[in-house]
Amino acid sequence: MALEPLKFQDEKPPRPAAPGKKWIRVTKAVNGIDTEVWEEVSDDAGGPQWGPRDQMRLVSRAIPRVDGPDKVSGRAMYSSDMRLPGMVYARVLRSRVPCGTVKLDLEAAKAIPGVLAVIALNNGNIDWLGRPIAAVAATTPELAEDGLRAIVATYEEQPFAVTPEQSAAENAPKVNSRGNVRTLSKNTDSSEVDAALGKAAKRVQGTWKIPVQHHASLETHGVVVDYRGGAEATIYASTQGTFTIPGDAAGRLGLQGGQVTAVVEHMGGGFGSKFGMGIEGDAACQLAKELGRPVHLMLDRATEFHAAGNRSGGEHTLEAGLDDKGQIVAIKGRVTRHGGVGQGSGHPIPYIYGRDAKVFVEDRCIHTHTDSSRAMRGPGHPQASFSMEALMDECAYASGLDLLEIRRINLADNRRELYMRQLERCAALIGWDKHPFKNAPDLSKSELKVGIGFAIARWGGGGNGQCKVEVRIAQDGSVEVLSGTQDLGTGTRTYCASIVAEELGLELGAVRPRIGRSTFGSANASGGSTTSPSLSPSVKHAAHNARLALFEKVAPLLGVKPDELAVGLGEIHVAAKPSQKIAWKDACAALGPAGLSAQGEWQAHLASSDVGGAQAAKVQVDTLTGEIKVLDMVAVQNCGLLLNRMAVKSQLQGGMVQALSYGLFEERVLDPDLGLFLNANFEDYKIAGVREIPRMQVEFEDDPRGVIGMAEAAVIPGHSAIANAVRNACGVRVFDMPVTADKVLVGLEALRKKG
Amino acid sequence: MKNFTYVMPTSLEQVVELLPGPRDLKTRDRVKVLAGGQDLLGELKEHLVEPEQVVNLKGVPGLAALTQQAGAWQIGALATLAALEENAALRASHTLVAEAAGSVGSTQIRNQGTVGGNLCQRPRCWYYRHEQAVCIKKGGAECFAYGGLNKYNAILGGGPSYIVHPSDLAPALVAAGATALIRGKKGERTVELERFFTLPSEGAVTRENVLAPDEVLVRVDVPAMAGWKSTYVKFRERSSYDFALAAVAAALRIEGGKVAEARLVLGGVAPVPWRCEKAEKALVGRKIDAETCRVVGELALEGAEPLAHNAYKLPLAKGLITKALTKLATA
Ligand SMILES: Cc1cc2nc3c(=O)[nH]c(=O)nc-3n(C[C@H](O)[C@H](O)[C@H](O)COP(=O)(O)OP(=O)(O)OC[C@H]3O[C@@H](n4cnc5c(N)ncnc54)[C@H](O)[C@@H]3O)c2cc1C
Ligand code: SF4
Repeated sequence: MALEPLKFQDEKPPRPAAPGKKWIRVTKAVNGIDTEVWEEVSDDAGGPQWGPRDQMRLVSRAIPRVDGPDKVSGRAMYSSDMRLPGMVYARVLRSRVPCGTVKLDLEAAKAIPGVLAVIALNNGNIDWLGRPIAAVAATTPELAEDGLRAIVATYEEQPFAVTPEQSAAENAPKVNSRGNVRTLSKNTDSSEVDAALGKAAKRVQGTWKIPVQHHASLETHGVVVDYRGGAEATIYASTQGTFTIPGDAAGRLGLQGGQVTAVVEHMGGGFGSKFGMGIEGDAACQLAKELGRPVHLMLDRATEFHAAGNRSGGEHTLEAGLDDKGQIVAIKGRVTRHGGVGQGSGHPIPYIYGRDAKVFVEDRCIHTHTDSSRAMRGPGHPQASFSMEALMDECAYASGLDLLEIRRINLADNRRELYMRQLERCAALIGWDKHPFKNAPDLSKSELKVGIGFAIARWGGGGNGQCKVEVRIAQDGSVEVLSGTQDLGTGTRTYCASIVAEELGLELGAVRPRIGRSTFGSANASGGSTTSPSLSPSVKHAAHNARLALFEKVAPLLGVKPDELAVGLGEIHVAAKPSQKIAWKDACAALGPAGLSAQGEWQAHLASSDVGGAQAAKVQVDTLTGEIKVLDMVAVQNCGLLLNRMAVKSQLQGGMVQALSYGLFEERVLDPDLGLFLNANFEDYKIAGVREIPRMQVEFEDDPRGVIGMAEAAVIPGHSAIANAVRNACGVRVFDMPVTADKVLVGLEALRKKG
Repeated sequence: MKNFTYVMPTSLEQVVELLPGPRDLKTRDRVKVLAGGQDLLGELKEHLVEPEQVVNLKGVPGLAALTQQAGAWQIGALATLAALEENAALRASHTLVAEAAGSVGSTQIRNQGTVGGNLCQRPRCWYYRHEQAVCIKKGGAECFAYGGLNKYNAILGGGPSYIVHPSDLAPALVAAGATALIRGKKGERTVELERFFTLPSEGAVTRENVLAPDEVLVRVDVPAMAGWKSTYVKFRERSSYDFALAAVAAALRIEGGKVAEARLVLGGVAPVPWRCEKAEKALVGRKIDAETCRVVGELALEGAEPLAHNAYKLPLAKGLITKALTKLATA
C-alpha cells in the first residue's frame, strides 16, 4: 500500500472529465512540501493553436537567449546589483548555538559611527543553528559587518541535536513539541507484505543514506527595499515569485499590497528556495521603515548555507522480494526524511518501479536543530531515485539479470514502452552493447575499470491559470509583451518574445519582452516546473488576440474581411493572395496613437503534463586511488512542445551537472558535539567544477503534446546512474552519498578481504 | 575583517624592522606579512587573525626572481606559482616542483599565489577555519578533529594537533633537497626546508614552521638534480580545484634499470611534508615493479595511525606511490 501523497504518475484522475474539460497533473509546493494534484481545466480547443511544428520559425527551434549578452557582459541588473540614492547596507547576525536563548545588547553596535540601525529579529528563543537574531544597517557593507560583531549576544545554550543520530537517541533534547521522530504514514499493517516477502524466491536489501544538499544559488537570498516613507515602496527581490513579494512586504511596511511593487529583472538562481520575503526580507523592510532610506540586504554565503533552506536528506531502508523470474513481488521499507526543524519533502518510495508489488513503506521524519529544508528542484524525487535505482541493480545482480532486463520486468505495463524505449536509446548512446558487465559487476583486478549505470525519472510539469499577459503594438510598429513573471535563468524572457514574434510574423529582436514587475499581469511563482506550461499558453493567447485585433484594423485597408488575412514575415497579406499585402509598419500606422493592447489568459489545451526520461552514466574507477571519473552522461527525455530547444537542452545538461555534483560531492557537514556547520563555504562544501563535467548527450523525443515544464525531471536520475555505474565498474556499492573516493577505497579493501 | 594599517616597505631591512621582536611570541600576529593574499585574506575575513598592521612584501624589489645556475635554482619568495608552473627549464630539470606548483588551487590562485605564501600558509582543517572552534591550534585546549570529523586530517605525525600541511610545493621542494633563506632582525640564516616545517609535538603547536616573529622567508634554493627523474602526484577529491587528500613527491636516479638514489615525500597525510627515508633506502638497488611498489608503500606508511574517518588515506597514499614510481620507471 503506497502512502497517501506519494502517488504514481499513472494513477487515474478522480473521475472522468466534464464536457469541455480535461484533467492535468500539477505539482504544488506548499511550505516546501511538494504534492502532486489533479486539476480539472477547461479544454477549449477553439482558441489559438501552436500549429504545425515544421512550419515554426522560432518556437520549437534552438535560439540563443535574448538576455545572454547582457548577462555575460555584466549589463544585466540582478537584484543584488541595485544601487539607489541614499541606500544603506544591511547584514544579519545568526545564532551561534543550535538551541537555547539569547539576550542581545545592541548599544555598542549602535555607537559605531556609520551604523544607522540595529534591530533584534526574534524574541530570543533559538531552535535551530544559524537562525537570524539581529540585523544591522550601515552606510557601507563593512560597517554593517562591524556592527554585527559589536552586538553583544549572551547565550544560554541548551543541549541540542544537530544530526539525526543525536535526535533519535534516547533522552535526546527535544526539537519541538511534536516529537523528534515522527511517523507520517497512516498504514501500520505490514502483514501482507511480510507474507509476500516470506514466499519470495530471493530477497535484496540495503540502507541508503542521503546527505543534505544546498541550493547554492550564486546570488544569495536577499532584497533591496526602496522605501523612503510615504505610500509607495519598491522591492528588488531575488525571488522565484514576483507576486510572492508585495503582500509580504506591505505587511512589514504597514502599506497595502497594491502600494508595493516587486521588481525581479534578473535573479541568480533559486532551485526552490526563494519564495516570499523570508526572514532577510522582513529585516530589510523593518530597517527601511525605521530609517526611511533604501536598504540593501543580501545574505553572506555562510548565512545562506545556515539559514536559506536545503534539500532534505534521508535514510531509506528497503527490502525487495523477487520471484524466480526477477519480478519484485514485495517491497518493504522505512523512509526517513531529514528536514531539520521542517518535515522534508516526501521521498516517493517505491519510485516508478515495483508497480505490481505489494508495498509497505513506513514514512518518518527526524527533526534536528537545523534550518528547515525547502523545496529543491524535483523535491523528494532525486532522493527516492537514489535508493530505488540502486535496489533495482542489486535485484538484477542477485538474479543474474541484465540491468535493462530487471527494469523491463518491473515497470508497470503502461510505463514499460516509454521507459524501455528511452533506456534502450540511452544504452545505444553510451555503448552498452559492447559493455561486458551487463548482469554482474566487474570484479577483475585491473587498475582502471569502466562501469555503466541507468536511472529514470518522472515529473508532472503541468501548468495553471494564474498568468495574465499583455501584448502591446505601438503605432510605430514596435511590439512589447508584458508579464509580471520572473526568469530564473531558464529562458522565460526569450520565449515570451519568440512566441509573440512567431505569431505576428516578426523577427525575434522586434519584440521587447518586459517581465519581472508586479505591476504587469499576474503570474505564478516558478516552482514544480510550472512556469512555462502556465505562461507560454497565456503569451500565445495574448499574441493571438493582438493579431486578430490588428487584422480588424488592417482588413479595410486591403479591402477584405479580417478572417481572410494572414501574417507573413514583416507583413500582413490576404491568405488566398499573398501578393495583396501591407508591410508591418504601414499596418501599425493604421492604429491610433494609443496603439493596440491585447490580453491573454491560460489556454489549457496549449499545455500538457507528465514527462518521463532516462539517463545513463559511464564512469571510470581507478582502483589504486578510488578516483571516480564520469566519462559520459546521456539523457533521453520526452517533452511535449519545446519552446526553445537550446534552452531546454541546457536545462537537461544543467540538471545532469547538478545531479553529478549531488552524487559525487555535495554534503552538509555538521559537528555533532560542537553544534557547528563545518563547511558553510564554497571550499569545503564541494560542488563539481569544469574538470568534473563529462561528455554529455541529450536527445528529445518530440511528441505532439503541448508545453510541459522541463526543469525537474532533468535533475532526478543522474546521481543514481553514476552510483550504479561505480558499483558496476568495481563491485563497490556506496550506500551513502556522496559517492567519494575514500568510500570506494574502503569498499575495495573490504571486497579484497572477502576474496 | 578588522581594520588595520597597511604598509608597503621597499627593502627587506624595512620589512623586518616593522615585524615584532624575535621573542614576541604572544604578540607576533599583530603584524602579518602579505604576499599574494590568497590565504591571508581568507584568514582576515574569517577573523582568524586580526593584525594591527599588514606589511606588503611586494614593494621589495627582486623578491620575485626565479633564476638558474648550473641546474640549481633560486626561487624568490614572491615568485608566483604560475611562474614555476610555466617555466620550461624548471619543468625539465625539477619536474616535481613545476608539477606541484601546477596542481595548486585554480588558475587564478596560481597567478596570484606566491612560493613564500604557499610554504607559510596556515592549515585548512575545518575546525581551524571556523571562528567559533577554538582548538589547540588557536590556543584552545582540545583538538576537535581528533575525536571529530577528521576525514581530511593526518594519519602520520599527528598530535596534539592533527592538521595536514596544506602546501603542495612543500613536499616537492623537500624531495628536491631545497633550503630556505630566512631573514630576521639579526640577519640571515638558512635552514634545510625539511627542517623548516615543524610537527605540532616538537615546535609551537600554534605554528607550522621555524620562523621567529621577526623573520620572513626570502628565497628557496634548490640544488641541481642532474640525472634525476621526478614527479608530483596529487590526489584531489574534486580535480577542478582542491587541496590534496594525499600526494607523493618522488624523485629517482635510475642506473641500469635499477634505482641508484631515491627521494620520497608524502603530502596531505601529516602536519609536515612527510619524508619516507626507510622507503627511500629500500628503493636503492631495486627495479620498479609491483613488488617494489608494495614494499615501498608499506615502509612509507609505517607507523600510520588513522583516525576514525581517514583510514582510506593508507591505501590512497600507497596507490599514489605506485603511480608515481611506475610513472618514473616508464618515463
Ligand atoms: C580556494 C583555494 C584553494 C587553494 N588550493 C591550494 C592547493 O591546492 N594547494 C596549495 O598548496 N595551496 C592552495 N591554496 C592556498 C594558498 O592560498 C596558495 O597556495 C598560495 O600560494 C598562497 O600564497 P600567497 O602569496 O597568496 O600567500 P598569502 O596569503 O599572501 O600569505 C599566506 C601566509 O603566509 C605568510 N607569508 C607570505 N609570504 C611570506 C614570507 N615570504 N615569509 C613569511 N611569511 C609569509 C602570510 O603572512 C600568510 O600568513 C588555496 C587557497 C584557496 C583560497
Ligand atoms: S587538527 Fe589542529 S587545527 Fe584541526 S582541530 Fe585539531 S588542533 Fe585544531
